[in-house]
Amino acid sequence: MKLNRRVFIGTGMAAASTLTAPMVHAASHGKPKVVVIGGGAGGATAARYIAKDSDGEIDVTLIEPTRSYYTCFFSNLYLGGFWDLENLSHSYGTLASDYGINVVHDWATGIDRDAKTVALAGGGSVPYDRLILSPGIDFVEGSVPGWDLSAQNAMPHAYKGGSQTELLKAQVMAMPEGGTYVMVAPPNPYRCPPGPYERVSMVAHVLKANNPTAKIIIADPKENFSKQGLFEEGWQKHYSGMITRIGPDFGGGNVTVDPAAMTVDVDGELIQADVVNVIPAQKAGHICEAAGLTEGNWAPVDGASMVSRLDENIHILGDASNQGDMPKSGFSANSQAKVAAMAVRGALTGSRVFPAKYSNTCWSLIATDDGVKVGAAYEPNEEKIASVSSFVSQTGEDAALRKATYEESIGWYEGITSDMFG
Amino acid sequence: MTSTSGIFASVLGGAALVLGIAYGWTARDHREQELGALTDRIEQLESSNAALADQAARQDDLLAIVTELETALATALDEAEAARQATPVALAEPEPSAAEEPETVIATATGLEFGDPEQGEAVFAQCRSCHQIGQGATDRIGPHLNGIFGRRAGAHDGFNYSDDMAMMGSDGLTWTIETLNAYLENPKALVSRTRMNFAGLKDADDRADILAYLRQFSASPQNIPEAAPTAQAREVELAPEVLAIVGDTDYGEYLASECTTCHQQDGSDQGIPSITHWPTEDFVVAMHAYKQKLRPHPVMQMMASRLSDEEIAALAAYFAESE
Ligand SMILES: Cc1cc2nc3c(=O)[nH]c(=O)nc-3n(C[C@H](O)[C@H](O)[C@H](O)COP(=O)(O)OP(=O)(O)OC[C@H]3O[C@@H](n4cnc5c(N)ncnc54)[C@H](O)[C@@H]3O)c2cc1C
Repeated sequence: MKLNRRVFIGTGMAAASTLTAPMVHAASHGKPKVVVIGGGAGGATAARYIAKDSDGEIDVTLIEPTRSYYTCFFSNLYLGGFWDLENLSHSYGTLASDYGINVVHDWATGIDRDAKTVALAGGGSVPYDRLILSPGIDFVEGSVPGWDLSAQNAMPHAYKGGSQTELLKAQVMAMPEGGTYVMVAPPNPYRCPPGPYERVSMVAHVLKANNPTAKIIIADPKENFSKQGLFEEGWQKHYSGMITRIGPDFGGGNVTVDPAAMTVDVDGELIQADVVNVIPAQKAGHICEAAGLTEGNWAPVDGASMVSRLDENIHILGDASNQGDMPKSGFSANSQAKVAAMAVRGALTGSRVFPAKYSNTCWSLIATDDGVKVGAAYEPNEEKIASVSSFVSQTGEDAALRKATYEESIGWYEGITSDMFG
Repeated sequence: MTSTSGIFASVLGGAALVLGIAYGWTARDHREQELGALTDRIEQLESSNAALADQAARQDDLLAIVTELETALATALDEAEAARQATPVALAEPEPSAAEEPETVIATATGLEFGDPEQGEAVFAQCRSCHQIGQGATDRIGPHLNGIFGRRAGAHDGFNYSDDMAMMGSDGLTWTIETLNAYLENPKALVSRTRMNFAGLKDADDRADILAYLRQFSASPQNIPEAAPTAQAREVELAPEVLAIVGDTDYGEYLASECTTCHQQDGSDQGIPSITHWPTEDFVVAMHAYKQKLRPHPVMQMMASRLSDEEIAALAAYFAESE
């Protein structure tokens, strides 16, 4: 089987450049250049598809500061003890060695849109013909009074992958008997709509086994949330009496935290907590704003090709983009990356461009072998990417179906990570 | 809301009683008595509430009759006016003939689209005497319309629906752009003995506008991915050149990139079946079976339902070539 028959076998030079970053101006032989900022669900997929499908006709540079990408997806399963930390980590080695992608481990600090260059924190700049931005999210300052990034050790967000996830898990494991875990849930829109509630399920799963008198409180500014009926059914079934959600009607949107005292003030009611998981309001990764590509908190794009509405040479993928109906998920970012990759190849090499199709499915685990999912198909129109059909797991499904759904999610994880990293 | 018992009581009253979930952020012991008293008070209030609701229902019934009469009168006037105007207008607009249509155009066939929400707000004025929408909307003669998209028909708690509406709901009628469009066009065609005494909006643009207006008060799919679709799938009729890509492996390769998000390229089949080394004919048959919803998996039904016959052929050609 050779699905990868078009893989461009990387040169020694491409591989070497992963070690010594600023080889970026090297031997391009006048080939068109694509630069990708951010090696996550959107960026890694886009870089790989452009390299794979252009048969070496396009130079691809991927700028990503971390050497190992820790997926946020399945990080909740790690919290729940269903997944190992190592299994969340992925390296960029194969993208460099098998696909010839020039992987530069650095931060992009600015974009000169007239000169079409990207400035790097380590110095130097990288020229592009087309730029793809998939920098994920940053947090809206001041959205949870009392919390800022300097408080993320005392009150972790664990909403970007890696060390934050590990920290939160360590804090949950160290909770005193009968202790209190408070989650400050984010307002819409934010990455992974069911994510906070899957997290609560997984924390409850761990506490039920180790610390059954512990309590979980969610302060939530939202009336409703994704898969609400399914989660509430599951919480009652598996964790009855452990979880309280304070919605906006009861002040769940009026929260102040004190990281030094480890208290959470919910509408005047002071809660002394042992773990406080603050998930602040979110916005497009900072580089989008720095490059003048945002309107409000997000970067508007045209759903036909994910091209920025403010710059025809820049495509913006994943969580950072404001595209319409698709939720901010890894699945969505991966789906958008393939449309953008095709559009970019079409523009630079004249390869054929087909009408965009998008899809998303989000699986969540509620307890052992109790998996649920929600998904939709999308098509672009002039105004936005619109949902055209959808499905969601039902309450009261039998155990066999829930188990199969969970197993499916593991298959998906393996599928999407090899689709991103080769 | 500033005290422990305050939050606790609200959570108890608001979440535990409504959802029937025994949430257990346990009260401090010394609060228990206070809570007992509160619970008694809630029960008292509930029974006096029920009495009030009874009275209100009787008043509503009277109001409903008045409104029915008013609407019937308005409808009769409208119909008379429409009958006077309709014929010449209809004749003035010639049907586009197939011969005039350039063959290269990609026609969007039956797709329903949302119109202009601002126009829709104006059209909605005639509905307001019975239906509220927006912040603080409550049930009146008709149910409030917040979150109508994706709601099961006749399923809004606490509203007294006609038997027919309730039955359509339990048969599976859910409010989507298509079902709402049909209902607004001719309520009785969809739900025979609906209580909604409204002749229907005959103008398709008015319906598209009002649907766009209503849609704003339902969940946005970006935040709640299972929210009702906001648009209709395009039924594209492709022109001959486009059709010439039948079995085109390039197209198949692009389409296949949607498959590899879940189906692993190295052929492993943990949790999700392998799709490599699949005989072409079996592949085509299986995809059509999903498309026709004969095979049950919801993700695959969704994916296959938007593939044309040609796209299935293109995928098959690509997978055949890559073996
Ligand atoms: C707890 C949790 C659970 C989740 N579960 C799921 C799930 O089950 N399924 C699902 O589909 N999605 C899930 N998600 C959502 C998913 O992780 C994101 O939607 C997805 O990662 C978005 O992809 P992205 O490419 O936009 O951003 P990311 O994957 O975050 O990638 C952005 C990358 O850009 C890099 N970067 C940022 N700024 C710069 C810069 N200036 N220069 C260079 N590099 C930069 C970052 O280092 C990062 O690696 C979950 C998220 C969370 C938090």
